[in-house]
Amino acid sequence: MKVLLWKDTKKNIGILLEKGSLRYAVDFYTTGQELTEGYVTADGKNFVLKVKIGGISKYSASKDLVSKKKSDLKGIITIESAIDINPKPVSDFKIAGRAPKEIKEHVLAEVLQIEGEHLKNLVLNIPEPVKAIMDMASKMGFSLTLSVAQKIHSMRDQINDAQLKQLLQRIKEDIAVKGIDPYEAVGIIAAQSIGEPGTQMTMRTFHFAGVREMNVTLGLPRLIEIVDARRIPSTPSMTIHLRKGMEKDQSVVTKVIKELENTTLLDVAEIVTDVEAQTLTVEPVAERMKDRLVNFEDILSGLDTVKQVTLKADPAKQIVVVKPQQESFKKLYQVQEQLKILTIKGVPGIKRAIARADKETGEYILYTQGSNLKDVLQIEDIDPYRTYTNDIIEIANVLGIEAARDAVFMEAERTLQEQGLEVDKRHLMLVADMMSFTGSVRAVGRQGISGRKSSVLARAAFEITTKHLLRAGLLGEVDMLSGVAENIIVGQPITLGTGSVNLVYRGLQKN
Amino acid sequence: MTTGISKRIQRIQFSLLSPEEIRKMAQVKVITADTYNDDGYPIERGLMDLHMGVIEPGLKCATCGGKVDECPGHFGNIELAMPVVHVGFIKEIKTFLDASCRSCGRIKLTEEQIVQYKERLSSMDFASADPEIIGLMSKRMTDEATQRMVCPHCGMQQKKIILDKPTTFREEGIKVTPKEIRERLEKIPDDDLMFFGMNREVARPEWMVLTVLPVPPINVRPSITLDTGERSEDDLTHKLVDIIRISQRLRESRDNGSPQLIIEDLWDLLQFHVTTYFDNQTAGIPPARHRSGRALKTLVQRLKGKDGRFRSNLSGKRVNFSARTVISPEPFLSINEVGVPEKAARELTLPVSVTPYNLDYVREVVARGQEPRDEFGKYIAGVNYIIRPDGRRIKITKQNAEENSKKVEPGWIVERQLSEGDIVLFNRQPSLHRMSMMAHTVRILGGQTFRFNLAVCTPYNADFDGDEMNLHVIQKEEGRAEARIIMKVREQIMSPRFGGPIIGGIHDHITAMFLLTHNNPLFSEEQAVHILSYVDLDQFPDPEMVDGVKFYRGRDIFSSILPAGLNMKFRSKLCKAAKNGVCDYEDDPKDTDVTIVNGVLETGTVDEEAIGPFSGQIIDKIFRKFGSSEAAQFIDRMTRLAVGVISALGFTTGIRDYDIPDNAVKRIEEISVEAVAKIDKLIENYRQDLLESMPGRSVEETLEIMILGITGEVRDESGKIASSFLGLNIPSVIMARSGARAKMLNISEVAGMVGQQSVRGGRINRGYYRRTLPHFLMDDIGASARGFVKSSYKSGLTPLEYFFHSIGGREGLVDIAVRTSRSGYMQRRLINAFEDLKVDESKKVRDTIGSIIQFTYGEDGIDPTRSEKGETVDVDYILMDMEKEASK
Repeated sequence: MKVLLWKDTKKNIGILLEKGSLRYAVDFYTTGQELTEGYVTADGKNFVLKVKIGGISKYSASKDLVSKKKSDLKGIITIESAIDINPKPVSDFKIAGRAPKEIKEHVLAEVLQIEGEHLKNLVLNIPEPVKAIMDMASKMGFSLTLSVAQKIHSMRDQINDAQLKQLLQRIKEDIAVKGIDPYEAVGIIAAQSIGEPGTQMTMRTFHFAGVREMNVTLGLPRLIEIVDARRIPSTPSMTIHLRKGMEKDQSVVTKVIKELENTTLLDVAEIVTDVEAQTLTVEPVAERMKDRLVNFEDILSGLDTVKQVTLKADPAKQIVVVKPQQESFKKLYQVQEQLKILTIKGVPGIKRAIARADKETGEYILYTQGSNLKDVLQIEDIDPYRTYTNDIIEIANVLGIEAARDAVFMEAERTLQEQGLEVDKRHLMLVADMMSFTGSVRAVGRQGISGRKSSVLARAAFEITTKHLLRAGLLGEVDMLSGVAENIIVGQPITLGTGSVNLVYRGLQKN
Repeated sequence: MTTGISKRIQRIQFSLLSPEEIRKMAQVKVITADTYNDDGYPIERGLMDLHMGVIEPGLKCATCGGKVDECPGHFGNIELAMPVVHVGFIKEIKTFLDASCRSCGRIKLTEEQIVQYKERLSSMDFASADPEIIGLMSKRMTDEATQRMVCPHCGMQQKKIILDKPTTFREEGIKVTPKEIRERLEKIPDDDLMFFGMNREVARPEWMVLTVLPVPPINVRPSITLDTGERSEDDLTHKLVDIIRISQRLRESRDNGSPQLIIEDLWDLLQFHVTTYFDNQTAGIPPARHRSGRALKTLVQRLKGKDGRFRSNLSGKRVNFSARTVISPEPFLSINEVGVPEKAARELTLPVSVTPYNLDYVREVVARGQEPRDEFGKYIAGVNYIIRPDGRRIKITKQNAEENSKKVEPGWIVERQLSEGDIVLFNRQPSLHRMSMMAHTVRILGGQTFRFNLAVCTPYNADFDGDEMNLHVIQKEEGRAEARIIMKVREQIMSPRFGGPIIGGIHDHITAMFLLTHNNPLFSEEQAVHILSYVDLDQFPDPEMVDGVKFYRGRDIFSSILPAGLNMKFRSKLCKAAKNGVCDYEDDPKDTDVTIVNGVLETGTVDEEAIGPFSGQIIDKIFRKFGSSEAAQFIDRMTRLAVGVISALGFTTGIRDYDIPDNAVKRIEEISVEAVAKIDKLIENYRQDLLESMPGRSVEETLEIMILGITGEVRDESGKIASSFLGLNIPSVIMARSGARAKMLNISEVAGMVGQQSVRGGRINRGYYRRTLPHFLMDDIGASARGFVKSSYKSGLTPLEYFFHSIGGREGLVDIAVRTSRSGYMQRRLINAFEDLKVDESKKVRDTIGSIIQFTYGEDGIDPTRSEKGETVDVDYILMDMEKEASK
């Protein structure tokens, strides 16, 4: 469904909101679309008003009109209602299949919608027979993990009902024996299990990750990066799959690569500087444009973002003349430099994309240098459900904390596995959960988990000793001595393991 | 002496000290800047006043009457002539001055805001809430108040205050004295304190401006007497002397009406001294120095950092009853044991409480004296001290032993020397995981070193090139019981890191087991007896008759240490790479898999996969099926059997291992020439701009990647050629293939070619201007100019190759140095962040304040130590077991 987007003054937005229903004279006119909805922005980036549109007609003077501006009016929008909405970013819309950056005047756009085709697969769908096995287990008084239930299900034809029952009974006994002991210091065990192999990891920052052309940080530096929850990893990279059905299509691959890779004006055009006329002429090279899948309009819209210049496009000759509004050599030079680095196509942050065909399936997988999950997800031909980035913070921001938790786990597991080190999943899970259970990704260290401990003494013992002690005085903080570090400091048994319980000897009972 | 129930500190409340409290807790008002008089006796009301405690033996504390080590020390105080600000709170003082009215002292918020914010704050308990959050909230409120330039309560126009670091405040350019600051802070009502993030229950803002200074007890700042008899005072005492001096001069100047300028100078000086007394590294002022020029270590420096009070003395403590010495191997000890030298054992004691039940025994032990031996001259435990119920210690000597033994009564404590069978903790640093500290039982041995079974090297990560280890004697029954049940080596065979064994045979153990089982060799009776004499077995395996002579099969000998009832099947390391079940290294295709049926090794070769640490399939299975004792016994027997086998057969390695035929050497030479030619061709193409770059790479990078690819191929190729001539009859190959030591790669480096040397993943390209060494032309980027080593270790490296090889080797060393420090810090942070987590009764993981981290530990509640290499349950194994049982 198409919607109308336009930019308006804050004052006008106020009027629209106040009146609700009115006929609004605007400086543009569009036809041919059955428009029912519109969004208005003041700053070009966030839409704060949603209007219901009754229709659009050509401008003709009339008394009941409210005008956007005094002159140059071209159309009338019949607005049925206007409501105040939470700022909706421009990236929620799609113009001609791409995410716009900014709305200048007015434009027809599509509201970005999450498509439902894959959603069904995402819902955890436990097949009935597997579920039956799990139910049987819970009837017997224990819970069976899905993976085990699936395993049993896969062997179901080899075992009869009595055997199944016996098997479950054995598993129940097995699990009871193998269960984690209450008060076990699982945190310390996890920390040790991840820290100890750290001494065996390589320091070599760069390694090849299947793709020879690209470097990815691995080994100890990467592990440190993960637990640090660094804003930007040192080598951000994405793994992108194509939509089902086009996975082996070479042409789609090249198209997506072109859409991904950040293309600058210089990549597709020559810039000729005319010092005498104080103009810059952008002369696109057809061959390069084709190679980069850029058309003339793309260049135009790219140039549109340059401020304080007048553009004169010549579609016949396929050139654009750019003239700075202010005539000076300095300005000319500045604009020239600006044009050289101007992005006209591609996803910001993606420096390079490389496709590799899977050896077995022949499906193409794209690997990128640089990461921009939010924008990449909006590219049409990619499969958003199999798009991955190694930037954990970005995942947290775009997909939420649960996804970030999984990302921490997966990245840590991958890093350790690549080094050939065996570490139990449960330890990595605990680290991932600890880093994310508050709802945001917290680093392991004084800025994150350790800095927010409840005990003054534990914080003081870790780093920045005096700051914590002085503040504790002002706040009258109370240290409940419930953790490990604080009890060691005061010389008491810690509260983990056998220290969590007491033995009481009752003595001999009389008679 | 603590007996019975010991007290437990429930909580610790922090607060600011008020001037009254400082005075109240002070036992003496210090007014003299001197310490000792000419006789060396503390001057009264001086900094070493006896009321503050004693540090010299013989003297008694004037406050509590205690002697050294009895008196805990007492505070004194110094009355400052003029108030000074406390550096630690300088930011807070600024906030208070900024956000409160200079006239009426109220916070510059409207009544409306106050009501609104109060509601928000009232839900928070300052004592237990997250200080970060309180900090953020109060910052918002005080920022708002700071913005307001007219007081909403009294209408007074406000002035802007700036902080001239570190401790001077200026209001519109005019200095605000600490006295004025204090006066303003005094005006702030208690009710407003919460908006500043101050807890009214425990603190007042004016307490951040000091009028009286507590003087720490003498035991906190003891003076040391040098060999020359000279006294050297602690840094804190020095600083306190300065403070008292200046304070006195300031008081005098003020009282006799000196010019304002002089007073202000003195006041600033006092501020300087008090500031550096707290923190001698305050930004903006030069640190106070000792006469020698060394910066003084004052209060903050004492607490902070790795050598500060917290990390050095509170989080980590020094202990008694411990020993440290060099370690060496002893294959005849069980993995559960540790050999302790007599010398150490005589020093290490454990307390034995005397009861009516052990009185006779104790008396006998005491009567032995300090260095008893049995009739064979063997070590037996004696007693070093006996402790009377009143706490007095009596040293036992040869002379008084008999006499003292009679005195011992129930209620006494006897410090008995270490004896065989005692349980001790054994540790090697760095203690990276819990297996770095395990409990062993003591065996007293001669010599000077600690000794243990070689299988325990892996968890400690120890070798015997001079490593030292620590030993701790547990002093309480409870501790000993816990050590025996949880920390004993046999209980730690399984690593919690990956749910497999971390203790297993290494090096020669693996070689020996390989020799014993590979192709199931025959051993003569003499050999078999030799081998089995190393192991404590009741039964001899059945012999096999060959031409009427008794022979024993290697696998039968091995089977004799396996527990009956063990069934398993797995692929050996030797045949890991075997495809379609055909193994190149076994004569009999059946031997591709190791099969054990009812404790009898039927097929396959026992190697690293079966008995090594980390993989150790047999150890893993025995531990799970038969428990920790059986597993430990198996390892004990296996390691001893290994010594028997390898000493019966003999095993050696030498340069002869790496002999390959001349035509193979020639072939390797050829391929290396080919490779160099290929590289030259590439470079030629590159020079002529014919080389096409890979996407995303420059031409130079592409060239490097391709050259590296070629050099890698050559090395692999030469390795293949070399190893094709090196069969399993060669000791070095046996070691590599069985997993005992080294990889085939290392062998091919010796026999075939060393290959490309690298720095940071690329070829060597640094050194001289545009070349690596002066022996090459500038810009020569050919193979040999960039560190390609054609020679093998055996043939010897050319000088240039040797040089490049050492460059590559140096990188490895640097790498290790950097890695250990980086990973050490990462682990410290991990431990610190995770140390408080524990599993509760319902398998939820919680932190100290009860937040739930996981609803079920690890999503299945399984202990990784006991998991099947990470999996919840081994369904296949259970099914197999069920079948076996059903068929019975």
